[in-house]
Amino acid sequence: MSQHCKTLEHDYQIPTVGAAAANIVKYAMGYNFLYTNGMPIRYVGFPFPVAGQPKSVHRQYIEGNDEVSGKPMMTAIMDALTQPPTEEEKYAGPPPEAAPEPRLLNPDTADNLQRLFKEKDWTDYNPIILPTEERVAEMLTGTNRKPDDVIKEITWPGGKRLFTVEKAAVCAVMAGAKKEYLPLILALATQVPFGNSTSSMANMILVNGPIRNELGMNDGGNAMGPHNEVNAVIGRVFTLMSKTAGNLHHGKTTFSSLGSNLQYNNLCIAENEEALPEGWDPFHVQMGFKPSDSVVTVGTGWTYISSVGEVQTAYPAHFLMRDYMRSLSGMRGGTVLMDPTVAALLKDEQGFKTKVMLSEWLADNVEKTVASFWGNGVVSTFFTSMAYQGLEPYAGYLKMPGDKLIKPMTARGIQIIAVGGGIQTTWFVTDFGLGRGVLVDEWR
Amino acid sequence: MKRLFIPASSVLMIFALVTVLHATSVGSEKITVMNPAITSTMVDRVPLTNRLDSLDGKTLYMVDIGWGGPDAAYSVFEEMRAWFSENMPNVKTVLKRKQGPYSADDPELWKEIKEKGDAALIGISG
Repeated sequence: MSQHCKTLEHDYQIPTVGAAAANIVKYAMGYNFLYTNGMPIRYVGFPFPVAGQPKSVHRQYIEGNDEVSGKPMMTAIMDALTQPPTEEEKYAGPPPEAAPEPRLLNPDTADNLQRLFKEKDWTDYNPIILPTEERVAEMLTGTNRKPDDVIKEITWPGGKRLFTVEKAAVCAVMAGAKKEYLPLILALATQVPFGNSTSSMANMILVNGPIRNELGMNDGGNAMGPHNEVNAVIGRVFTLMSKTAGNLHHGKTTFSSLGSNLQYNNLCIAENEEALPEGWDPFHVQMGFKPSDSVVTVGTGWTYISSVGEVQTAYPAHFLMRDYMRSLSGMRGGTVLMDPTVAALLKDEQGFKTKVMLSEWLADNVEKTVASFWGNGVVSTFFTSMAYQGLEPYAGYLKMPGDKLIKPMTARGIQIIAVGGGIQTTWFVTDFGLGRGVLVDEWR
Repeated sequence: MKRLFIPASSVLMIFALVTVLHATSVGSEKITVMNPAITSTMVDRVPLTNRLDSLDGKTLYMVDIGWGGPDAAYSVFEEMRAWFSENMPNVKTVLKRKQGPYSADDPELWKEIKEKGDAALIGISG
């Protein structure tokens, strides 16, 4: 929105006012202004939320006061368009506030530094290992990369930041990593910052290939619980990197309504490749990597639903998966996490000789009504505009009656992952989307 | 030769004192650590364009960017248009939906606003 205002003001000389919920205005007038937009756009702020409120509430907003200026809303809009720019609003040139971050922090006691890291919101509020130069230097021996090698230039959520190997190693120390973990952490760093939105999004980290066993990751019993150092630390370091290098801070650059507890560990798992039935390829092989490649894949999503118990012969696992997937958002797919015993049942008893066959069956059988599809805010935000442009299937969905059944998922969008220790025929369906991952071996 | 006799309780006290002093010195020792934060480059400032003398007799474009879906906030604009119609009928309002996702550019609409409009209100995020 701020970019559209800037375009109209700067390129077309049209006086413009931006309108948003007050929390978004805070971001727009603060971080977005300093690091992305640079124009002191005039905003009016409504109470949060605006989207989805009934017409009567919207009328109250119009009759109420602007949360930015405190003036009546319509007066604030007219003033924003007619009051001459101040000297500050006329200023063009480099920002006067710019100050570089030092490589080293001022010396202090360990207790004070632990406190400082929390005050800066650089942690997950659990104690960290303080990143002394000696510890970071030791960590850097875990890779052949140079400390000043740039992993990526981060531009989200605004402001260009060069994320170097050294900065990733700092976070690795903070999270309690061993130097052997560093190549995996550097590959993961290419995906920083993690997916984050007002919709309270979460992330999933999936590790495939030999690195799982080299590091001692758990892909068996309790793989998704707090029972393995590597799974715990790798999941944690992604959060620390996203908060520090990614600059994601509550109320400043992130505005998730509920947030997600999954962001503590980011669903960090390894696939139990050794227990896959014959014909079921590991995920990274499905994505075109060699079995001997070590790969980390990051996906975003919100939800997972458990089978809550073992598979029943009277109602096969894929039937219940289908039923539960109908309640997911309809973002074209999801990821099913299943114990290897479930994979074996689906292959031996139900005839799914490959993962792809199961994905195709689910895509062909997960149905929901058009009304339910459009009833999801994220779906509606992203796909309505495509529908207005005539893009199918969304343009067609928009013309259908609300009770019409559609099949919104695609086989390519549904991934099947085996994880777990064969203790119970249990599974989760999730709405996490996984794409092609990152080769860990390039970061050794 | 006289033997020096130190009671066991005194030995314990000395040991405790040394331990406390050591702990105090460790706790107050200053260390230097590396900064995990990265310098974030700020962008250059761009000034606002000139404002209108008044809205009287002018055309105000109100643009819905589609945040939250097509019906999420559209009625806010409808309420604004009703307010202008009732309170400032000399202001012409034009309500438009921006094409594409909410963050996508819409140069055709911007050109239309330049040709036919005098001011714009864009929203509504949130």
